[in-house]
Amino acid sequence: MPVQPGDELPPDKRVLLEQFDNFAELRNGLKRVAAVQEHWAGIPMPMQDAELIIEPKYPNAEALSTRGNYTPEQQSVESPIKIRNAWWSDRLRGDIYIYEDEAGKVQHLVAPKPHMLKHSMLTLGCSYAWGIEQESRALNLLATLVQHHTFKQYLLTGMFMETSKRSGLTYLFRKLRPTVVLDVRAKDSTTARILCALCLHPIAYYADSWAGAMCPTDDVIAHLSLMRGDEHMFWKRSNQHLPGRPEAGL
Amino acid sequence: MTGTVGILNVGAGDTKLVFDPANSQDCIRAARIVKDMIRRGYALLIEVVQSDGTKQYQRAYDFKEDSFEYIVADFDPVVAQTEDVEEEAPQVGVELAAGDGGQSLATPPRKSGRKGSRTKRVSATGTKAVAVARSAGG
Repeated sequence: MPVQPGDELPPDKRVLLEQFDNFAELRNGLKRVAAVQEHWAGIPMPMQDAELIIEPKYPNAEALSTRGNYTPEQQSVESPIKIRNAWWSDRLRGDIYIYEDEAGKVQHLVAPKPHMLKHSMLTLGCSYAWGIEQESRALNLLATLVQHHTFKQYLLTGMFMETSKRSGLTYLFRKLRPTVVLDVRAKDSTTARILCALCLHPIAYYADSWAGAMCPTDDVIAHLSLMRGDEHMFWKRSNQHLPGRPEAGL
Repeated sequence: MTGTVGILNVGAGDTKLVFDPANSQDCIRAARIVKDMIRRGYALLIEVVQSDGTKQYQRAYDFKEDSFEYIVADFDPVVAQTEDVEEEAPQVGVELAAGDGGQSLATPPRKSGRKGSRTKRVSATGTKAVAVARSAGG
């Protein structure tokens, strides 16, 4: 067979591993269905307490998505409040909204986001979607893509850096966090300028978290491969977070 | 010498396609899958050996099922952009040198960043690749 799961565990060892994982049966079932239906990247696992955001063109995206029937167009017609403008404030550590109330009076509101504990807790909760076997295979693949010391850095710290040979920008790849883009190209520069944080999840991710549908190291491999192979596409397909925004994870 | 494609997969972590010249049936099946992935918008990042012996990753735009070859662009977009900037500099110099009341001499036509449609083929056997599905954002 041309399609081979990399480094399959012996059956007895897999049974032992999955004995401790209540979601293993569902995960394996989705894997079998994906193989039959030829969804090469698999089927993302819906989670009860996490909203699954799926790439719109992915097969069965609408059925699997738990975003619901909400659309911005419906909200603007039904709600008496009109949002005129919104932006992030580094000083206030929150989103600022300028809106018109029911009487037409212009008001402002600050929605503070002093920390990302909720984001972190949701990410922790989404870990049930991944299996140790999947993460192990992803680590084996990453080990073939980077040098030994880089892989060691990743195992011990959850991150590593690589400079693009094309653009000269330096990327800090992190497990379960957006990739930070640093500009250290100026020869006389002694400090690095943070350009942004790039967030990208193949297929799907869980809203309000840093968790993707794929295991954490698969997301890192996706970032690394795209940066190396097509940097423009990496930027085009990613969500760019300002360094000061909490979603950047800095 | 075999080539591999690592497909990032939700349920399996990493699924491998193998292009083994000794097994034509598997090569045909693998080729069909690669072609289908490209059609669906997957990014195929392949490791290409450059003329100076170094290895660089490039994205495959297409795949030839009959010859098991990836089609990649034969130019680097960042290098092309730099060369465009350098080519425009003499053009400005020619315009400033014209001393006939502002009438400039004939200038060379502006060249675009993309150097035509040059592509090259890379054999799938003996090549390492990673397939990344379309992004849902983040």
